[in-house]
Amino acid sequence: MHRRIAIKNLALIIGGAALLPSCVHENGKASIKLTNLSISADQEKLIGDMAETIIPKNSTPGAKDLQLHLFVLKMVDDCTTKKDQQAFMTGMGQFNDYVRKRYSNSFSDCTVKQREQILLDIEKDKDPKSSTYPAELKTFYGAVKGQTVNGYTTSKYFMTKQVVYELVPGRYNAFYPVKQKQTA
Amino acid sequence: MANLNTDSIKDRTFDAIVIGSGMSGGWAAKELTGKGLKTLMLERGRDVKHIKDYPTTNMYPWEFEHRGEMPMAVQEANPIVNRCYAFHEDAAHFFVKDKEHPYIQDKPFDWIRGYQVGGKSLLWARQTQRWSDFDFEGPARDGFAVDWPIRYQDIAPWYSYVEKFAGISGNKDGLAELPDGEFLPAFPLNSVEQYFSKHVKSKYGRHVISARCAHLSKPNQIHLDQGRAQCQERTLCQRGCPFGGYFSANASTIPWALKSGNLTLRPHSVVESIIYDDKKGKATGVRVVDANTKETIEYYAKIIFVNAAAMNTNLVLLNSTSHRFPNGLGNDSGVLGKYVAFHNYSAHISAQYDGMLEWTTDGRNPAGGGYIPRFRNLHKQETDFLRGYASGFSAYRWKQQNWDGVGSDFKDNLAKGELSPWHVGSHMMGETIPKEASYVKLDDKLKDEWGVPLLKISMDYDDNDAKMKKDYIEQLTEMFTSAGFTNIKAESDNRAPGLDIHEMGGARMGNDPKTSVLNKWNQMHAVNNVFVTDGACMTSTSCQNPSLTYMAFTARSADYAVSEMKKGNI
Repeated sequence: MHRRIAIKNLALIIGGAALLPSCVHENGKASIKLTNLSISADQEKLIGDMAETIIPKNSTPGAKDLQLHLFVLKMVDDCTTKKDQQAFMTGMGQFNDYVRKRYSNSFSDCTVKQREQILLDIEKDKDPKSSTYPAELKTFYGAVKGQTVNGYTTSKYFMTKQVVYELVPGRYNAFYPVKQKQTA
Repeated sequence: MANLNTDSIKDRTFDAIVIGSGMSGGWAAKELTGKGLKTLMLERGRDVKHIKDYPTTNMYPWEFEHRGEMPMAVQEANPIVNRCYAFHEDAAHFFVKDKEHPYIQDKPFDWIRGYQVGGKSLLWARQTQRWSDFDFEGPARDGFAVDWPIRYQDIAPWYSYVEKFAGISGNKDGLAELPDGEFLPAFPLNSVEQYFSKHVKSKYGRHVISARCAHLSKPNQIHLDQGRAQCQERTLCQRGCPFGGYFSANASTIPWALKSGNLTLRPHSVVESIIYDDKKGKATGVRVVDANTKETIEYYAKIIFVNAAAMNTNLVLLNSTSHRFPNGLGNDSGVLGKYVAFHNYSAHISAQYDGMLEWTTDGRNPAGGGYIPRFRNLHKQETDFLRGYASGFSAYRWKQQNWDGVGSDFKDNLAKGELSPWHVGSHMMGETIPKEASYVKLDDKLKDEWGVPLLKISMDYDDNDAKMKKDYIEQLTEMFTSAGFTNIKAESDNRAPGLDIHEMGGARMGNDPKTSVLNKWNQMHAVNNVFVTDGACMTSTSCQNPSLTYMAFTARSADYAVSEMKKGNI
């Protein structure tokens, strides 16, 4: 019964999109049904921890509360090319290796500060010519970051509580003073 | 096979048949049923009932599985329709997918189609401008195609007629090149659009006006009578509008025609050909293949309106062969399927403006911003290319989100964001010249699953288009520069014809039966009970968005057809 309520609440949080965990949860497998990617529970946890590092829970819901890591997986699975999906998987392995080499730990066992540092360092490395990271690792990080933030800023939570999305504006003011502007 | 007893034939006999249910077919049905004709409307696709069949219309962004993005498998399976700007998760169900209805590209052509009741009138960009005599006199003045058999005064009352019913918002701008219409209040230009308008008027004598569009900014009784309500500025039009805020056949003409009690709407009806009776010297009906059962059924009527959308109207006519017309119905001239053309949308310009920072906008503008009517070669030939282009123009600001960083502060800043400076954009809408070498034809061998030959399409840009595009980029760049816009970026893309979704011609109007298919009433020179009032009838393309002109042609032609019937001439 609790599980049902949990799923129902989850559905409300993410707005009824098709991100419900599959009912049969095999040990070691990802909790979401994917078509192209083969993701283990550990890999799902990694992406969850990365997403939570990007969008952490503070006074407002974080990535895990909003199931953003499942959204990341869904988008990579459905909306990217086979080539990018392969790079995503390869890059995930490279990312794990890189973290272990740097901190002798898995990403999930790193402190929050360490996690943030890892992600920020990759993000600051913008010039592909002088990059110290393999291209696939950057593709992997770019997908996790991009889809986490995409998922967050288009979530029901964000679009109703942080900015207010209006389905039916019912107005167009062509001259509107910036001073009066409150919502996006 | 159909049961051919007398009752069955009676059941399949109407006063009029309309082939197609979109922008112009809807008007044909409304006008003919309104004049008391029992009318059969044939649509090859499924039914789409207003509101009821708009499954995404009230969905929030987060309710779309991929937040609007099309899955890669769909994109890769549909390279053609995927290039259309509106092919996203919220409206993909209204577009034909590439493999469903193949055609042959003798030259690259992105054929964007909407096979359902309402057709592309659900999906259109809703821009509506009248033609003027600068347009109708174009071919005669500049020596291409053939002379239009009508002038502005012939069509002006019919523009008024359809505008009043459809609901067109706009200002009375008093421009000879873009005649005023029966307008509902315009959606105003914003601060930077207005600034640019004043600037180019004083410096160049050119005009930037509020885009005229088929939105009910302030509905009149006639619109309320259609069950439509004021536009709510959602700008989610491509999903179908639950308010009927913009004009579509689904929201307006088709329900009106149904209300008359005179309309029979038959979806899933692929028109194979029009039946011509050599003895009677008339078209007697239409041969239909049921899209689902593949059964062939014949329907009969006194008059036939062909509104299948430009390319498919050509296909139907070319496939309607008889002893009298071995090369396609009404094709004595041999021009049927030729002189097809399109609009050149292959350049756009963006820039930034650092002024007017005290202003922004609130809500959304369904008109999309401003419109720059054609200013080139208007009164006389003044460039090294023929004709000219209209341009869109809009200015906008948005709340910028900083996506650099991770963590708590990064997250909280996403909601704050600062307003961007003003950005401006323009795109060209160029007239192209119809040429004999541009054609649609039937393939000799290949047929679709309903036994209809596949259409071969061949049209391309020419030297005139290249020169015109260069001029658009030069002129708009200069206008932007002199207005103080910065970071000006002109981009030319190599899109194929077709993506403009303004394909036209093939069954052109003209005075001379030797060089045209239709007369000044959109009536076939050689078959007086067949009328073509969609884009296929266009003798030239000018640069206005064409739908309003199709609507006016249709209403005018239906009025003529019925009066001729009453006189016993048809």
